[in-house]
Amino acid sequence: METRPLGDTGHDSTVMTFGAIALNWLEQEGANQLVEHVLDYGVNHFDVAPTYGDAELKLGPKLRQHREEIFLGCKTQERTYEGAWRKLDRSLNRLGVDEIDLYQVHGLEYDEELDAITGDDGALAAFREAKEQGLIDHIGLTSHGDPDLILDALDRVDDLESVMFPLNPVVAGKDGDEYDYEAVLARADDKGVGTLGIKAFAGGSWPPTGELPESDRPFANWYRPVTAPDEVRERFDFAAAQGLTSVVSAGDPKLVTMILEAAADYDGMDEAAQRSLIERVRHDDSPVPEQLHH
Amino acid sequence: MDVPETVVTALADREVAGRRCLEAGAGAGNATAGLLANGAERVYAVTNDRDHARTTRRRAGGDRGDRGDTDSDGDRLAVLEADLRAVPLPDDSVDLITAHGLCNVLDPAALSSVAGELSRVAAPGAHLVVDDYEPLPDDAAIGELFAVENAASELARGRPALTFYPAAFLRRFFAGHGWEFGRERTLLEPVPWTESHVSAHADEAASTAADCPEGPGDALAATSRDLAREIGSESVGRMYSLAFRFPD
Repeated sequence: METRPLGDTGHDSTVMTFGAIALNWLEQEGANQLVEHVLDYGVNHFDVAPTYGDAELKLGPKLRQHREEIFLGCKTQERTYEGAWRKLDRSLNRLGVDEIDLYQVHGLEYDEELDAITGDDGALAAFREAKEQGLIDHIGLTSHGDPDLILDALDRVDDLESVMFPLNPVVAGKDGDEYDYEAVLARADDKGVGTLGIKAFAGGSWPPTGELPESDRPFANWYRPVTAPDEVRERFDFAAAQGLTSVVSAGDPKLVTMILEAAADYDGMDEAAQRSLIERVRHDDSPVPEQLHH
Repeated sequence: MDVPETVVTALADREVAGRRCLEAGAGAGNATAGLLANGAERVYAVTNDRDHARTTRRRAGGDRGDRGDTDSDGDRLAVLEADLRAVPLPDDSVDLITAHGLCNVLDPAALSSVAGELSRVAAPGAHLVVDDYEPLPDDAAIGELFAVENAASELARGRPALTFYPAAFLRRFFAGHGWEFGRERTLLEPVPWTESHVSAHADEAASTAADCPEGPGDALAATSRDLAREIGSESVGRMYSLAFRFPD
């Protein structure tokens, strides 16, 4: 599988990152098998979080067995120094490892949170100490939030080495600043910061729970994913062709093999085909049904 | 509303800021939105379709509402309800013309007249951007739907609804009207004919079929709906962009 430099970290990540939340939906034996399956494709970057149910615990055994083959990303939603230290200790324990390669501020959403993590008593102070102690190797940040907020974080956090954010043809087709994750990608590239793409496989929101109760959803994703092999492939190709370091796989284990296949076969996507995909999802989504043209 | 990637790509290498622009055949105002976003001094959006005129006007007005600009898009836009075979603008009066998805709704006779008008209103040194579709491959399922749409239109109005001109044809055709060819690029390949496009074309075919004097109208309408159901959506064909310059 193709690898790309994760910014200036010195690590080359495979163009697909395994979203280890998928392990949460499997028994331990199945989780072990899925990790072996992912490694068989050559994937070398895994991403997990303490909020993903039992994913850390279920990743543990195979992670320890294959520790050298896996660049491990983990994250915390804590914003304070104390909280971040507590969660980092907990993750190291649950994963059963001595070191996390990439530790990320998880799900930054508001300006106040950026103030909090960068403050004297903020999470990043704990990250830096942990880095000095060799418990983590690199510092990252993840956000589904406003691109402007991620741009601010890139400017304000000098030792940020990776950012994780949504990128797919649905957001690429929208013009407003609130969708301009392309600007985040460009700024991160300028600064030598690695880029990890999420929501590449999002087809749309789930119907309201009145229409489709959560328990009746056929996939474990937070959004309604695309599920046909051809669609999964073009979504992967699109995300990888934007220039991200790596595309994070979807959270449902039923989709993982299709994404692995797409990642293994990835050889670029020409621009006319990228536009074609943007146009298609724009019209699927469009409130103006009467258009005859593109 | 967002500017489609097709328009963004077609205008990417054109100077728009400060130019007097004409969107020939406004449709949903896609190119108008792109021209305004790129800083056109003035955009004349010409269409002979009242609904299209309203959509284009609302879209530009809506943009202004969202942003609260004092220098609003509405002030830079004039939507003109007129026939492109008689453009209500003086000679040599525009610097940039877009024909975005226009030519395919013009039969050869109309295309010929419209091209004459575009050349008339173009100022020396003006640019022309022509975005359209290559003829579909023979095995394209949506080709059957377009055939029904054309059959209904021929019977109801004596001309086809859609004519897909090859890029090479329009290139030589506009050169014949005095335009210097600049470049060609592919906007979409394949072209995503989504369910919303397919059903819009089926509706168009059915409403035209209702105007057929007698005979096959009902059958054509029914066929168009059946085909739309059968096809669903299809990604096929190529949409291209041609750029020309009018000599000084």
